[in-house]
Amino acid sequence: MSRMARQEARAAKLFLIPAFCGLTFLTYLPLIAVFALSFFKWTAIMPQPIFVGLNNYVKLFTRDMFFWTSIKVTVLYALLTVGVSMIYTLSIAMLLNRKMPARGFFRAVFYVPYIIPAMAMYMSWALLYNPDFGVFNALLASQGIQKIGFLSDSRFIIPSISLIAVWASGNLIVIFLAGLGNVPRVYHEAAEIDGANGWQRFVNITMPCMTPIVFYNLLLSLIANMQVVVPSLIYAGSNRTTYPEYTFMSFLMYRTGFINNDLSYASAISFVFFLIIGFFTLILFTTSKSWLFYEGGDR
Amino acid sequence: MVVRGGLQSKRRRERVTTLIAFLFVTLFALMVLFPLWWIFRSSLMTNPEIGTLNMLPSRWLVSNYPEALKVFTYFKFLGNTMTIVVPCVVFGTITAIFCGYSFARLYFRGRSFVFGLCIASLLLPPVVTLIPLYIGWIRILGLGGTYWPLILPYLTGGGAFNIFLIRQFIMSVPREMDEAAKIDGAGRMRILLQILVPSIKPAIIVVALFIFIGIWNDVLQQTVYITKQEMNTIALGLKRFTGSYGTDWRLAMASTCMSIVPGILVYLICQKYFVEGIVVTGMKN
Repeated sequence: MSRMARQEARAAKLFLIPAFCGLTFLTYLPLIAVFALSFFKWTAIMPQPIFVGLNNYVKLFTRDMFFWTSIKVTVLYALLTVGVSMIYTLSIAMLLNRKMPARGFFRAVFYVPYIIPAMAMYMSWALLYNPDFGVFNALLASQGIQKIGFLSDSRFIIPSISLIAVWASGNLIVIFLAGLGNVPRVYHEAAEIDGANGWQRFVNITMPCMTPIVFYNLLLSLIANMQVVVPSLIYAGSNRTTYPEYTFMSFLMYRTGFINNDLSYASAISFVFFLIIGFFTLILFTTSKSWLFYEGGDR
Repeated sequence: MVVRGGLQSKRRRERVTTLIAFLFVTLFALMVLFPLWWIFRSSLMTNPEIGTLNMLPSRWLVSNYPEALKVFTYFKFLGNTMTIVVPCVVFGTITAIFCGYSFARLYFRGRSFVFGLCIASLLLPPVVTLIPLYIGWIRILGLGGTYWPLILPYLTGGGAFNIFLIRQFIMSVPREMDEAAKIDGAGRMRILLQILVPSIKPAIIVVALFIFIGIWNDVLQQTVYITKQEMNTIALGLKRFTGSYGTDWRLAMASTCMSIVPGILVYLICQKYFVEGIVVTGMKN
């Protein structure tokens, strides 16, 4: 028996070699490395990194004019996108969660934007938002309203790119639908016999049963949206200092590390970025205890 | 009598709400599809006509496509993208199956700790480790100018999420099936390949699709690691339309439409399994 157990453990470790390599060399060691590197100065022209202590952080917090802006716009963008896309996807999932014609077709339609490669998606919206060739401005013009620079007017940049992300969030609908399908029917039937109306059943049965999935979607979409960078790479490529709204944290990191070739300073930005995302994740986890509902027992 | 009347009115009410829901969903579906239609219709127009509100081209300029192919070498880009996608999808899925199987069925000391590390890594944004990984791939391993930095990370089980997904699916297969096969003298590999793999087919397809979408959607990693023109992928090829002032929109849109097609095709082929796979993920998280 113990020989078999040993054999089993050996097989397990053998099979897990890829995961082990991934976790060590692609996840946890680089995380340590990014932290370590943030205490050095190392630009592209320097052969060896030089230890500079907290210099990078001091510069980041006191002298970098982009840093605070980047935190502000990233958080604003992420909260706006996550909020709107959660409301949008949960509503559509609720509507689709009933017998209706072409249900599978609709589910596929809402998912399609998620399949479109990010680059193609932002290219398409660049046309839609374009001041001279775009449909939105053509509509405004036909009503005699002035043109709007959706991607170049600082009041509109964040809502405009947020809308693109919401448009592409249809994958959440599929996950929500899966969750709604798992809400036990008996609960609804029992409540109906007790005379609960549709709204009461939604608040007291559907929502509590859905909280784990809402939490899961909230967490993953928050982490994903905090990392926003592609719109900046495409829309702010040539005039990147003009609009502070495009200096998302990931973009600031990319620009510092790969355009200005300052890998150590970019590491400091990365690590602060990691802490900020960690902070939001922590908030989600701690508050979730008060609203998360796990169905006990059956299933 | 009273009860029947109540039931009937209830059924009627339900039919009305379904109709309203249907109309709302149709409206939203049209809104979601509109941008796609707009770029397609733009890809068949002259530049001045793109700026109008015409829903259909006055003349369907299919010739925009061959013209776009001259500046946007689609097949070259597609080939390059596939050079990354194919090994990632094949080996990423295979390693995910082995890792997921280990976590689900094989016991060893420290398993829950390793699994915890695996799940925790889901919360780590990949952007954070971009710099050290870049230094590792380029300066330490000297892999600059190759596709390896884009491919190798996927050979580690295709990421924690995919390993997790396979594990959940394997755990939902009754253990009795393994035991029965073991009694019949099947080894571990045979149990995995002949019993578990066929019964978790939807999960395997979902994992393959997720890996595909991951690479298909990626812009940042490709921007960082691909420095040679002739190695450009579809994403980087499209990006060139954005740099210049006065974009030729009809060619840009024709190229965009061509870039969208392979993803949609893959999705349509996998769709049946895909929904099934998501249903189980949603249930188990």
